[in-house]
Amino acid sequence: MSADPQISKVSTIPVGPLHVALEEPMYFRIDVDGENVTGVDINAGHVHRGVEYLTMKRTMTQNVVLTERICSLCSNSHPETFVMAAENIAGITIPERAAFLRVIAAEVKRVASHLFNVAILAHLTGYEMLFMHVMQIREIAQDLKETVFGNRMDLAAMCIGGVRYNLDAEMTAYMLGALDKLEPEVQAIIKTYKTNSSILRRTRGVGVIAKDEAISVGAVGPVARAAGIDYDVRVVAPYAAYNKLTVPVPTLKDGDVWSRAMIRLYEVANSIQMLRDCLKLLPGGAINLGERPDIPAGRAVAKCEAPRGELIYYLKTNGEEIPERVKWRVPSFMNWDALHFMFKGSKIADIAIIVNSIDPCVSCTER
Amino acid sequence: MTTRLPTDIEARLLAAAPGGIEFSSEKNVQGVTYAWCGLAQTADLASVAKLLVELGARLSMISGLQPPAPAVEEEEEEDDEAEDSEDKAEPVEKPAPTTFGGTAIDGTTYEINYHFDIGGDTLTVIAYAPHEGSVPSLTPYFRPASWPEREIMEMYAVTFDGHPDPRRLFIDASIDKAVLERLIPYSTLVNAASTKDLWDRVLAGKGGQS
Repeated sequence: MSADPQISKVSTIPVGPLHVALEEPMYFRIDVDGENVTGVDINAGHVHRGVEYLTMKRTMTQNVVLTERICSLCSNSHPETFVMAAENIAGITIPERAAFLRVIAAEVKRVASHLFNVAILAHLTGYEMLFMHVMQIREIAQDLKETVFGNRMDLAAMCIGGVRYNLDAEMTAYMLGALDKLEPEVQAIIKTYKTNSSILRRTRGVGVIAKDEAISVGAVGPVARAAGIDYDVRVVAPYAAYNKLTVPVPTLKDGDVWSRAMIRLYEVANSIQMLRDCLKLLPGGAINLGERPDIPAGRAVAKCEAPRGELIYYLKTNGEEIPERVKWRVPSFMNWDALHFMFKGSKIADIAIIVNSIDPCVSCTER
Repeated sequence: MTTRLPTDIEARLLAAAPGGIEFSSEKNVQGVTYAWCGLAQTADLASVAKLLVELGARLSMISGLQPPAPAVEEEEEEDDEAEDSEDKAEPVEKPAPTTFGGTAIDGTTYEINYHFDIGGDTLTVIAYAPHEGSVPSLTPYFRPASWPEREIMEMYAVTFDGHPDPRRLFIDASIDKAVLERLIPYSTLVNAASTKDLWDRVLAGKGGQS
C-alpha cells in the first residue's frame, strides 16, 4: 500500500488514568502506528498521598502501623523493613522464634499476592473461569491470614524487636492443614498456565524484556528473574531466618508475560514449602523484646524481598521519638521503566496484559 | 553469580574522589556489608559513578533529606567537665557546624544519599548541596536515577544538572516547588479548598472575626 500523505500513520492514544483494565490509576500516553505501539510516556501522581511526609510527623512506634498502610498486597513487607532499619540502628538482634515468625508472615503474604496477580492475568485474557478458580484457591491463603493474624490484608505482625503474634500447637496444625489443601491446587494451576492454549497464546512472546535491558532499568523481583537475573534479597542479603532455610530462586530466560507469571507461580509453590519448613523448625522462646526499645541517633539501610521484589528503607534518627527522615523505594518504582522495553513492538490489545505482568502497585509507587 | 563489595573499596573510592571521602563499613551477623561514603566535593560524584558502573553496582534508591540545624540547648546539656572547659574558652566562638566537605548544617542544606546494591551489599554514597544548589545527575551512568532525581527536585529546592527530563514526577506543575520543606494544607495540595462560608463559621466558632 502506498503511503497517503493525507493520513498520519502515527497517532497517540491515552490509556488511563482510569481504565477498565487497570487496577489503579496510572496514565500512559501511547504512540501507535496502526496496531503497533511505538512509544510510551508514563505520567504518575494520581494517588500521591504524602505518606513520606507523614512518617516524619509520627513516632517510631506509630510508623510501624502507618507503613503497613502504604500498600495492601505487600502490606507486611513495609513494617518488616522499617523495623529492620530501626533494629540496625539500635543494634538489636531479634529472638530466634521471632525471626521464623517474620518469615511465616512474609511468605503467607507472598502466596496471596502472587496468586492475585496470576488470577488477574487470566481475567485480562478473557478466561473468567480460570480467574475465579485462582481467586477461590487464593481464598485458602486469605482464610489462613484471617485465622492466624485476625485480618485478611494488614497482618499487624511486626514490631521493633520482634513480632506481635504467636503460634500454638492448634494454630500450627491448622496452618499445615491449610497448606496441604493449597499445595495440590497450586500444582494444578501451574500445569494449567503451562499448557492451556488460551493463556499461552496471549502471553508467550508478549511484552519481552531482554536480560541486559532489565539490568539497565534496575528491574527487581519476578520481573528481573523472568529475564534471567538471578537475584533475590532473601538469598544475597539474608535477613530474619532466611539463612536457616532453603530458598530456591527460580529464573527463566524469555522475559515475556508468561515467564513472569510462571516465576510467581513457582514462588508460590516454594513459599508453601518454606512455610512448612518454618513450622517444623520453629524454635521456642520469646517473640519480641517485651518492651519498646529506644532507638538512638543513627542511620541505616534495610531491605527485604517483598512479593514484587527488593523493597529498601532508609532511616535516619536523631535520638528523638520522631525519625528525622524515613525514605523507601518500592519494587514497582523500578519496574515501571521496564514497560518502555516491553511495549516496543507490542499490539494495542496487549497493553493491559503487559502492564499487569509487572504486577504494578501505584499506591506503593506514589506513596 | 553476584560479586560482592570488594575489600579494597575504600582505596578505590578514594582514588575516584580526590576531593576526599568519609568512609565507614560494617558487616552484620548474616554477612551483609553496609558501607557509607561521604563525598567532600559533589564534582567527584561522576567519577565515583563510573567506578560503580565498573563494579556492576545497581542504583537502588536515592534519598534526599534536609538535615535540621543542631539544637542549641543540646550543647549546654553536656556534662560538668565539658561545661567547665567551655567556660574557660568562652571567648573562642565555636565554628558553625558543617558536613564533611564543608557544607553548612543550618537546616537549609541538603544531603543526597545514593544507595547502591552490589550483589546484596549496600554502599551509600552521600553528596551535600547548598540551598538552591545542584548536584550532577547520575542518569548518564545509571538509567534508574531518572525518577528518584525528578522526585527529589519536586520535593526540595535542589536540582540535578544534566537530567534529560526534569519534569515533575508525581506533583502537579501548578503546585509551588519544594513541597517537602513547607507545610501545605492538604486541601490546597489536592485542590479541594472549601468555601469561605465554612472558614467564616470556623472563625465565628472560635470567637474571632472573619
